[in-house]
Amino acid sequence: MQQLRAWIRKQLPTDGLGFFVSVLMLSICSFALFIAAVNRNVPEPYPFKFPANFGNRFIIPADNPTTKEGVHLGRMLFYETKLSANNKMSCGTCHEQKLAFSDGRPVSLGVDNSFTKRNSMALVNLLWVRNFFWDGRSPSLETQAVFPLTDPHEMGQSLEVSVLKLSKTKNYPRLFEKAFGIPKISPQLIQNALAQFERTLISADSNYDRYLAGTYTPTERELRGMNLFMNPPSPERSLRGANCGHCHGGPKTFKELFHNNGIDSTFSDPGRKNFTGDSADNGRFRVPTLRNIALTAPYMHDGRFRTLEQVLDHYSDHVQESETLSTFLKGVSNEKNGSHLSLTGEEKVSIISFLHMLTDTTFINNPEFSNPHLFSKK
Amino acid sequence: MFLKKTLFATLVIQLFCVVTLWAQTESTLAISGEVSVPLTLKKSDLAAFETISHKVKDRDGKEHEFKGVALFELLKKAGVSNGAQLRGENLVKYVLIQAADGYEVLYALPEIDPDFTDQIILLATEKDGKALENGEGPFRIITPNDKKQARWIREVRSIKVGFAKE
Ligand code: HEC
Ligand code: HEC
Repeated sequence: MQQLRAWIRKQLPTDGLGFFVSVLMLSICSFALFIAAVNRNVPEPYPFKFPANFGNRFIIPADNPTTKEGVHLGRMLFYETKLSANNKMSCGTCHEQKLAFSDGRPVSLGVDNSFTKRNSMALVNLLWVRNFFWDGRSPSLETQAVFPLTDPHEMGQSLEVSVLKLSKTKNYPRLFEKAFGIPKISPQLIQNALAQFERTLISADSNYDRYLAGTYTPTERELRGMNLFMNPPSPERSLRGANCGHCHGGPKTFKELFHNNGIDSTFSDPGRKNFTGDSADNGRFRVPTLRNIALTAPYMHDGRFRTLEQVLDHYSDHVQESETLSTFLKGVSNEKNGSHLSLTGEEKVSIISFLHMLTDTTFINNPEFSNPHLFSKK
Repeated sequence: MFLKKTLFATLVIQLFCVVTLWAQTESTLAISGEVSVPLTLKKSDLAAFETISHKVKDRDGKEHEFKGVALFELLKKAGVSNGAQLRGENLVKYVLIQAADGYEVLYALPEIDPDFTDQIILLATEKDGKALENGEGPFRIITPNDKKQARWIREVRSIKVGFAKE
């Protein structure tokens, strides 16, 4: 001990000021360590990654910033069956990763064994969506989650019961504390965490993205399909086109628009009109994303088309007239004065091969989006 | 007597229902944001403003006569800063116009103000003597000096005045 003290004394400067400075340095260091230890509880911002051509036109609510801890909790909750009345259903039941977070059914089956009114939507690039659902009735991911959680034909459980069930677990109070700094679980925090996870579901690595980034060369057929998809027909100038891009275009192949795309002439589901009350919105639905569209059959708000071939037949030959049919589908034809798009069989096949370019296998296999509860069982 | 009264009452109630339903389903135009009086206008409310018309070439390459009211007058009515007030920070105000289908376009406030420009941007309700059709009306913006018609937004539902916050 004596020796040690002598050794330290030798190492340290012996004059008064030097000693003082050393002590000061030491105390600053230990203070910094102390702060770092305390700060371990402050959630870390989640770094969003997406190509520049997706743009930054999105709003994340100031009171629910995206953090790594919040996203992790949100992922746990997304796959949590305790959030349903029969403890068997989670968001993941109707939104399966391998199907780009859709469920492969025309309409979905809820806890009460009855069917939902509409087709489950793919959850892709929601960061850029501002009005959620087929009719755009929900203005944020935070508020959206309440619908599936509490709807008797979906998960069918009140938020209060969900809070109680989660509070009784070993894991969740700790996860909520890590994500939000408070161990108390509340309905709002459940919604916030789910929203944080959903914002990270970004699909930006399809062959189409790679083509835009200059790292993928499309086949001739894909290229033909892409051109048809993006361009309007102009029989006067002998230019063939399908004009899909008018509603489905851009680097994200998503524009937030609401249209009646002519699948019906009378409307058992009035769509957007239900929300706005405006008769001009009768039969309008949100233009859904076409990202991973080859994986998200069946198609349309009621899942009426089983295949992309049927979808192309619709747009080419069967668009139905009505008061609210989109003007972008009226009188758009590859024939002079034609009433329908009238694509050839080969053109339909080409457009479908372009649609397959939108499949993003990185997205559907991303381990960060998978069911975290399965790890323990593996 | 009693029967007559109930019959009459149901009739009145039915009429009321029809009227409210009808009122609900008519398209309206909302002006909101940095305004002193937010407005919700029906087509008939525009009768209070001076009618203006423009003969211009539309996307179809043909000339049409559009009739309506000056967008500026509507903004003025809503109390949007204009004329001499358009200085300082008011010069970074924008007008975001949204259509029923979610399509959006943007103008800077001075682009609409008669102290800055002679162009009269129109909120049109008529084309060639007829009310604008479904998918185009009831309200459409006509900006004669824009060579490309992309900002001649159809089916206008809302006009929001805002501050650029960068
Ligand atoms: C029973 C099946 C089912 C369950 C369970 C379910 N959803 Fe859905 N989801 C749907 C259906 C159906 C729609 C479309 C409903 C509509 O438009 O009215 C939808 C739509 C959505 C949308 C809108 C996407 C968009 O692009 O607008 C989001 C987000 C979403 N669900 C998230 C969730 C979350 C989070 C959970 C769990 C809390 C969940 N869903 C549970 C069936 C389900
Ligand atoms: C006027 C706008 C518009 C145009 C043009 C348009 N679509 Fe659509 N599309 C929509 C709307 C709206 C829906 C959803 C309709 C519904 O579910 O009722 C939709 C749905 C789809 C779907 C189903 C998506 C899903 O998740 O179920 C596919 C696939 C599709 N469109 C492909 C195309 C193709 C290919 C073209 C060109 C031939 C095209 N669309 C042109 C508006 C449009």
